[in-house]
Amino acid sequence: MSEIVIQADNLCVAVGSKKILNNVNFIAHKGDVLALLGGNGAGKSTTIKTFLGLIPPSLGSAQILGQAVHQNTQLVRQKVAYLPESVMLYGHLNAIENIRYFLSLGKKPTSEQVIHATLEKVALQPQAWQRPLGEYSKGMRQKTAIALALLREAPILFLDEPTSGLDPVAIDEFNQLVTQLSAQGVTIFMVTHDVYGACHVANRIGLLRDGEIVDMFNAPENGNIDTEAVHVAFAQGGRT
Amino acid sequence: MNWLAIKREAHFLLRKKQVVLILVAALALSLFAVWTGSKEVAQQHATIERLLKADAQDRQAVLEQQHDYGGVAYYSFHLTYSAPSPLAFASLGVRDVYPWKHRIRMLALEGQIHESDTENPELALAGRIDFAFVISVLAPFLLILLLHDLRASERAAGRLELLTISNASGAGLWLTRAMILSVTLGFALLLPFWIGAILHQVGWITGIGVTLLCLLYLGFWALLSYSVAKLPSPAPMLASILLGVWLITSYIVPAVGHVVIEKSITGPKGGDILMTQREAVNDAWDLPFSETFDPFVETHPEWENYTQMPSLFDWKWYYAFQQVGDQKAQALSEEYRRVAQEKYQLANLFAVRSPATALQRILSYWAQTDAEAAREYEQSVRNFHQSLREFYYPLLFKKPPFKREAIQQRPEFTPNRSTQTNASAG
Repeated sequence: MSEIVIQADNLCVAVGSKKILNNVNFIAHKGDVLALLGGNGAGKSTTIKTFLGLIPPSLGSAQILGQAVHQNTQLVRQKVAYLPESVMLYGHLNAIENIRYFLSLGKKPTSEQVIHATLEKVALQPQAWQRPLGEYSKGMRQKTAIALALLREAPILFLDEPTSGLDPVAIDEFNQLVTQLSAQGVTIFMVTHDVYGACHVANRIGLLRDGEIVDMFNAPENGNIDTEAVHVAFAQGGRT
Repeated sequence: MNWLAIKREAHFLLRKKQVVLILVAALALSLFAVWTGSKEVAQQHATIERLLKADAQDRQAVLEQQHDYGGVAYYSFHLTYSAPSPLAFASLGVRDVYPWKHRIRMLALEGQIHESDTENPELALAGRIDFAFVISVLAPFLLILLLHDLRASERAAGRLELLTISNASGAGLWLTRAMILSVTLGFALLLPFWIGAILHQVGWITGIGVTLLCLLYLGFWALLSYSVAKLPSPAPMLASILLGVWLITSYIVPAVGHVVIEKSITGPKGGDILMTQREAVNDAWDLPFSETFDPFVETHPEWENYTQMPSLFDWKWYYAFQQVGDQKAQALSEEYRRVAQEKYQLANLFAVRSPATALQRILSYWAQTDAEAAREYEQSVRNFHQSLREFYYPLLFKKPPFKREAIQQRPEFTPNRSTQTNASAG
């Protein structure tokens, strides 16, 4: 068994008296693609934000590479890249300037060639690279943010609704990219509504409902998770 | 915070249109303030130069036309003035409220001093567009515009989380941004001042002092804005909090202070002094000579044996009742000055609660354009007038033969902040 990279250990998050996450447990090993499926308000984004150190757990812990996120926030953040659901990079900067700026923030500068190669990899048209992001479509902004996440060369990727706003071709390309990164040993944690997409790329899927993991699916050796089973469980509210 | 981060953030922030717009506005406002201040100071210098020439010519003409000392004293005007200091261009203070020049005669003085003063104003409220106003009142407003939404704008744009995750320096990013914005704003505001300071030959120590004081003041507002900008509230709410503090400290506290001071400390008006002195002088024409000479010799016993009147009019009697007019207004005048001093001190207490007013008062004190400087000038006029009386009284009472050369020894007004040495008996 490879090392545990992401672990939720009896993770609880509450805002005031309202419980958002309740005793959530899961683990992801190196190279895993762990998808958390759930409806609106299930607690998916809260889970991701807790692992990013943006929301403190009220009980239990969120751990990355064996370290509690809230006790080692800055250290942990250096190991992760994050793709938010609604990507709003700086509208007055172009794609390359945005990427350079955010990489510089993380003290991970990279060469122009690598940035170009990555933008090509995420299929952002070269003629758009020098245009301000304010003129981009949602899909183009998403691709820029994906490129930024890849360029951080982090061993762990957190993706919040990553295919939202992408066209079918781009979704396909993105899924291939995720598979490729996973094969390279990058651990990916994504939250999504997209059952079919998740089944296509993830080797572990958790169903989240009202802040609790109600089901967990594991992919068989050299195969995908059964979409039908996940879909039925998702439609029935969790329990199969 | 390191040099690379500063360079990156400066490059990033100075490409934002709204940031550039605010900085250009700050530079333009400061330039305008320094320009108007310089223009006003240049006009005051030009007025003094012009009056000095005319004043000397006028006195010379009087001297040539008159044949006795009383006539020379009566018809001669003496320009007294307080020239603007080198720093006055930056803080014009109360020089438009308090008179800074007079044409003094040997007549009763109090009426001449208070001729243009009927309001007895003390606490100057913000309002004039000089550098002191720009830096004390407008600069915090611009700083608030720049800093209030430091985090809130990123939160509203949906970038805050990505920035927080991507940023390896933690809170250093916000501190760097706040510092760059504050320093650039400070530079835009101070650059015109430095140019003005060089042109007006302000001393190095004063220039550095003003710079440090302004930076300290901007630092206070930057720290306040930075602290409020940390709150997890929307930008309009943060702006409201900061603008509320700005409005209260820059306008409401001084306005309330003005009302409280005016209501709580009352005293004679300049007009009361003027009327008392003039009525005393006018009445003296119809009173027996003794009514004038008795109070006069009480203050000038050395002339007790020279009060005989050879005719119905004599210059010594005329100037004695001018002096008695001043003596009758003296109590009011002293009360007026005591009340003005009390108001000034109370205004200092209010200024502690209003950083903008405190800064303006310090700058006007350094520029010698505050109420204290005006009172020192007023005292220098009194001292000069006293020296004129000391010069003329022996000539009027002892009546030596008229010699124009004797007038060459007449005191000349020398402008100086020191109230004790202003009037020089030549």
